[in-house]
Amino acid sequence: MATDFTTARPPLWRNVRFLRILGQAVFVLLLAIVAREAFLNLEYGVREQNLDLSFDFLQQRAGFAIKEGIAYNPNESFYSAFRVGVVNTIRVALVGIVLATILGLVMGVARLSTNWLVRRIAQVYVEIVRNTPVLVQIIFWYVAVILALPVIGGALSLWSLVFVSNRGTAVAWFRLEDGAGAWGLFLLAALAAGALVLRWRTRVDERTGRPAPRVPWAVGAFLVVVAVGFWVSGTPVSADVPEVGRFGYEGGLQVSPEYTALLLGLVIYTGSFITEIVRGSIQAVPKGQKEAAEALGLSPRQQLRLVVLPQALRVAIPPLNSQYLNLLKNSSLALAIGYPEIVSVSNTIINQAARATQMLLLVMGTYLLMSLSISAVMNALNRAVTRKGQR
Amino acid sequence: MSGRLPGDLERTPLPVVDEPVVQVAPTRPPLTSGEWVRRNLFSSGFNGVLTVASGALVLFFGFQLVRFVFVSADWSVFQANLRVYMVGRFPEDQLWRVWAVVFFLATLVGLSHGVLVPRHLTRRGLVLRAVLAVLTVGALVYLVRSPLVWLLMAVTVALFAVGVVAGRRLGRRLLRSLLVAWLLAFPVVVLLLSVGDVSADQWGGLMLNVIVAVAVIALSFPLGILLALGRRSSLPAVSWFCVGFIELIRGVPLLTLLIFGRFVLILLMPPGLTFAQLVRAIFMFTLFSSAYVAEIVRGGLQGVPEGQYEAAKALGLSTTRTMALVAMPQALRSTIPPMIGHFISVFKDTSLLAALSFSELLFTARRSSQAFEFVGHQAEALLPAAFLFWVIAFSMSRWSQRVEVRLGVGER
Repeated sequence: MATDFTTARPPLWRNVRFLRILGQAVFVLLLAIVAREAFLNLEYGVREQNLDLSFDFLQQRAGFAIKEGIAYNPNESFYSAFRVGVVNTIRVALVGIVLATILGLVMGVARLSTNWLVRRIAQVYVEIVRNTPVLVQIIFWYVAVILALPVIGGALSLWSLVFVSNRGTAVAWFRLEDGAGAWGLFLLAALAAGALVLRWRTRVDERTGRPAPRVPWAVGAFLVVVAVGFWVSGTPVSADVPEVGRFGYEGGLQVSPEYTALLLGLVIYTGSFITEIVRGSIQAVPKGQKEAAEALGLSPRQQLRLVVLPQALRVAIPPLNSQYLNLLKNSSLALAIGYPEIVSVSNTIINQAARATQMLLLVMGTYLLMSLSISAVMNALNRAVTRKGQR
Repeated sequence: MSGRLPGDLERTPLPVVDEPVVQVAPTRPPLTSGEWVRRNLFSSGFNGVLTVASGALVLFFGFQLVRFVFVSADWSVFQANLRVYMVGRFPEDQLWRVWAVVFFLATLVGLSHGVLVPRHLTRRGLVLRAVLAVLTVGALVYLVRSPLVWLLMAVTVALFAVGVVAGRRLGRRLLRSLLVAWLLAFPVVVLLLSVGDVSADQWGGLMLNVIVAVAVIALSFPLGILLALGRRSSLPAVSWFCVGFIELIRGVPLLTLLIFGRFVLILLMPPGLTFAQLVRAIFMFTLFSSAYVAEIVRGGLQGVPEGQYEAAKALGLSTTRTMALVAMPQALRSTIPPMIGHFISVFKDTSLLAALSFSELLFTARRSSQAFEFVGHQAEALLPAAFLFWVIAFSMSRWSQRVEVRLGVGER
């Protein structure tokens, strides 16, 4: 008797499709049970403490002062206080990312230098900084360096343009005058002019085949438009030089000790990782690429700019992204030195309003959002550099 | 290409050649020191300027550092608090437990070192080691005023040395029993340090950092492997859950997770069920670390060639056995370098417990600098703590590099 194998169905307990669905159903069910149990416990626990799970408390009066950041006073709501924290986090993270990248680039190039001493200095920097916890470094900068600086009366000064004391740092900066808006428009126009000139010179270069200097021309065009705009809008900016007052600085760009310590710690720590990324990604470009570029008669600068760096950038962007995210997340360590960013403001709010659950959800959500934004920018950059060639 | 197999070599003896072997490239005579300086420091005008400028900087800061360490610094804050830095408020009459643990671990580390690390030492490595040893002994003699402690430390070093020698003698057949010993070590240590007249609340200082780091590493490793497998699972419900969990954890700072453990975790538990602060911190830390372990393992699994799976399938292995016997061993071998890097950062991250007022090393250091008699010596209080963190993290990374060579990572 022949069995028709094509139509015979396996029994249910050996049917892979059925088993897969069963497995997932059990998994989801278990998760749901655990989640429900946890939620019920949470509700019960919160009720025991006479609290609730709503976000209404954010509208209540905060009642605590925040040392720095955007305009805020203690009579405003918890939500306003949280917003100050968010802006402060962004302030330190963005500046930190830019500075850490510069430091990492410089040190990464130094790490590959033909100069033995320079190479060693970069190596020692990486080995020391990378293997020490970032929190230790931040606290060290804050407690042992910044707070140990002279008091405000004896502030160290650099040509009277930069002042440093244990009250923080003040740097000569710009003050916007009337007509700054008009000048802003001129800046945009200058950018456009520079881009146009760059394009035109590139065309000339390609058409004639003779080397046509492009970058100097573009920069020149940019500067001309900027200068004309400056004159037309009637000195839109003026210098804002800081002075040492009795209780603090007056004028200039003022930076608090906490901000300085946090920024120093984050930049120096993250910079050491970026150094290794820069070194690794330049070394990842096959040697033959550089040799081929040399054989084609490119100058050392052209070899670097046209052949090595574009390929190195492709390797570098994914790990750079994760270092930027690390810097953002490590900025939460400001809690230990009292710089009012998201986590330290939220910690104060939790102590005052006791709504830890809602507050932590809000904090984690905010961090996720910021992480996603950084990743989105970096992914766009990644697409832009990988689009041109297939590997 | 591995070329000829050893068996082939034996069957066909190499022909004896009388002629001198043709040299492919002429060997370069070693550089004289003058040439070396010219080539490495003054190869161009720009390089010369760079050398002079950075040399001046190095000399200046080096001088400042040496003067600080040996002349102007007052290390009495560290001297007075040495025991607190190491073990926190652990009762003084129970310190024998800590020393027993130290002896046990020294022997175990020595044995593992002897088995795993090749013995070749370059002359530079030897000199570096000698300098470090002299510095360490000098610092210890200066900082520790008790002869009993000197004696106990000497015993520790001796046990380590005996372990190294024994490990070399016995070789790789010890590997399996070492693995078992390491697995047993953690429960034994925890029991020894928490049962009887002491409790886990009294842990502190560097000891707490090490215990937390080891606990987190040991717990998050299996959890991370499970998450990685779950992420690759063909069941959408499972893989979506794992992806969500991993990305959520990786997107938020560890500090917020630890604060979550402090305030919220207890509310999620059934009423009446409570855990110590430390246990909750370790739990959240483990969740954090396992997400990173999962990503590392996933990377390793992606590196296993498709052919390996196909070959396993052709041999009739089930999915589970393919994973356990074919894919996972290869994946784990290739993940050794990033995994050790992650373990080092777990150790460094234990300093975050200071922000939650656990009396670990950094917290202790900061606290002791605030005592009235040590005002103005914050640097002297913090630097030893920073140095302890650095020494452990740095030697772990160096050790891992040598173990990688021994295990042949990236060569098979």
